[in-house]
Amino acid sequence: MSDQIIFIKYSILIWLRIVRLGLRHGPVNMVREIRRYDWLWYLLKVNGLMRRMVRGRAGLYREAICLVIYTVVCNIGDLLEGVFLHPDRLIMNEDMVPTEIARAMGLNTWTTEVLGILLPMLDPIAMEEYIDASENEGIPPDICSLPKSTMGMALKGKLPDVLAIVASNLPCDGGMASYELIEKKLNAPIYRLDVPFNFYNDRATRYFTEDLKKMIAWLENCTPGRMDWNRFRDICERRNRMAELEMEIWDMIRTRPAPLAAEAVYLPHLWHFNICAGSEGSLKLYERLVGMCRKNLEEKKGAVRNEKYRAVLWNPPFLHFLDIFSWVERTYGVTLIIDSMTYNSLPLIDTSSPDSMLRGMGNIIMQGPMARHTRGPAENYLDDIFRIYRQFDLDMIWVAGHVGCKNTAALNGVLREMCREAGIPLLILDYDLSDPRIVTHEGMITQVEHFMENVMKAERLAP
Amino acid sequence: MGSTTGKAVILDESGIVASCIVPSEIDPEETSRNALEKACAQLEDLKGYRDLAYLVGTGYGRNEVPFANENISEISCHAAGAFHCNNEIKTIVDIGGQDVKGISLNGDGSVMEFAMNDKCAAGTGRFLEGMSRIFRMDLEQFSELSMKARKPIAVTAQCSVFAETEVVSLLAKRNPPDEIAAGIQSAVAKRCFTLLKRIGVRPRVTVTGGCAKNRGLVKALSKILDVEVTALPVDPQIIGALGAAVFAMRKGR
Repeated sequence: MSDQIIFIKYSILIWLRIVRLGLRHGPVNMVREIRRYDWLWYLLKVNGLMRRMVRGRAGLYREAICLVIYTVVCNIGDLLEGVFLHPDRLIMNEDMVPTEIARAMGLNTWTTEVLGILLPMLDPIAMEEYIDASENEGIPPDICSLPKSTMGMALKGKLPDVLAIVASNLPCDGGMASYELIEKKLNAPIYRLDVPFNFYNDRATRYFTEDLKKMIAWLENCTPGRMDWNRFRDICERRNRMAELEMEIWDMIRTRPAPLAAEAVYLPHLWHFNICAGSEGSLKLYERLVGMCRKNLEEKKGAVRNEKYRAVLWNPPFLHFLDIFSWVERTYGVTLIIDSMTYNSLPLIDTSSPDSMLRGMGNIIMQGPMARHTRGPAENYLDDIFRIYRQFDLDMIWVAGHVGCKNTAALNGVLREMCREAGIPLLILDYDLSDPRIVTHEGMITQVEHFMENVMKAERLAP
Repeated sequence: MGSTTGKAVILDESGIVASCIVPSEIDPEETSRNALEKACAQLEDLKGYRDLAYLVGTGYGRNEVPFANENISEISCHAAGAFHCNNEIKTIVDIGGQDVKGISLNGDGSVMEFAMNDKCAAGTGRFLEGMSRIFRMDLEQFSELSMKARKPIAVTAQCSVFAETEVVSLLAKRNPPDEIAAGIQSAVAKRCFTLLKRIGVRPRVTVTGGCAKNRGLVKALSKILDVEVTALPVDPQIIGALGAAVFAMRKGR
């Protein structure tokens, strides 16, 4: 009963946040925005997503997932207010470029890829029309479907107008190439951060810090934003605190059974560290998550009722099939402990001076999980996987084998051999990041069933 | 329950006492009933499949067999069946009617790792059926034809549709049919090789599934893998069903 009340409570809060957006912008203006940005309709499906995600989950674990989804909705509300109410201060940033600097400059940000990440979560088929639009304009079908989706949105005029765009040479060729098209379609100036190939040295850090300074000067030149170092320090300090809290969660989830898991662990990082790190709302979320995690730990309660296997997910999560983890928990007791996007080994920023803050932020960009994993050397990818396997006392490795990711396709062959030698069960689950037509949900489930039945010799749990 | 045939194996303490292969019907339940009734008819003291101590279903249609005590994945069953025949087997290539699997075995015959192609017809029994049709032969004749070749002609197309076009062109240009047939066997073997690379090839290697009866393919596979392919003492087409029977023996005891 209390589980149902939790769901209803957060459903109501989510609706109130959506209504607030409509009221602040005005119903007439809102109708105009919906006509231009028809993807806004998808946001109304958020409670459906929450219902799918909490299926079979109870207690604080359930509440943590509801809370995370609610905070994501709140943040989307803030982002949309930036787009609708303050377009004169709006810039676009690539998902590998953190928003902290722009926010310290008093600018509003819109992460270009945010809809390609968010909409498939809400409706698995949401990106199909944009992927098709992109391919119909001659974009090669075999590049990653995330940049294809984003380019499709740009081609169909579904991205907001912005003053400037900040991108980088991360994480892959497809991503980089997409900004040629986006720049032209939006007719906005672009600054491309140049992340050095060999970044584990002082020279690279110095070079990149200078590049960030140039980016700030460029933004000051083409937007009304002005760098406020005190505001930047506040953001960095809150970000540091978020990272410390996240590490507390990591410490606690090493315990068997893990007190929190899956979306309660990876979704906060995916959203709050990439879209709004260092915001007050994000910090509050992490404080609450730590509290919930600690309470479960003290009461020796596992998030998953019957934790039989502990897994890590490598590569971005299955955006159009996030509820695969609630299914696999119920079916086999597989508990997703952590994922590669969450695992960041260099999270803290020295806030003693503007230079030190930029150095810290630069290192986060250069050495962030996906950045260092997809650019080489291979050790960055492989070492992290085996370190995480030991650190979190795992039983298996899952790789989200996104067929559009050439960078990781080659690495997975090496990974297979290394896992075989180490005797670690490995599931490379073939799928497409944004397009469920490539591998259907049924196809994904079949792969998991084959792996669990044949390699893990697992029996299905009683319903 | 395979895509093209249904197989049944009855096992007792002495070994295989009955087995049969029947063509697949549209309804997997009907196929399984046919196969079981045919196998049971081979044993005088068995009135029907309901007298069996334990019944395990496997294959793509296994979930549609309501009278089975249990359903087990064909991957585990092929591993158990091959290991039951020869406990030195470490790698299996299962080439069935509609998919190809590579299976790596632990020392106890359980599955260590597997890789499968169930998305594309190229390299499967369906592909070979299509190819033999071009030659107006059955699969056995096609296999024997390929064995006569001294130098296979490379068939480069990976896709079964394009391969057909390529083979028709090669025949029209009056290339020797036996060498084209050997080239086709080699192309299928290369696809299996790619799949096996994912799981690693460890001797002893065996081939199971209906296509294991294709001697030309086994020869090409052995050449491409650079490893001797171990023949099993049982019809390779019933290895999956045998594995299911092995599991049934363990459970039924």
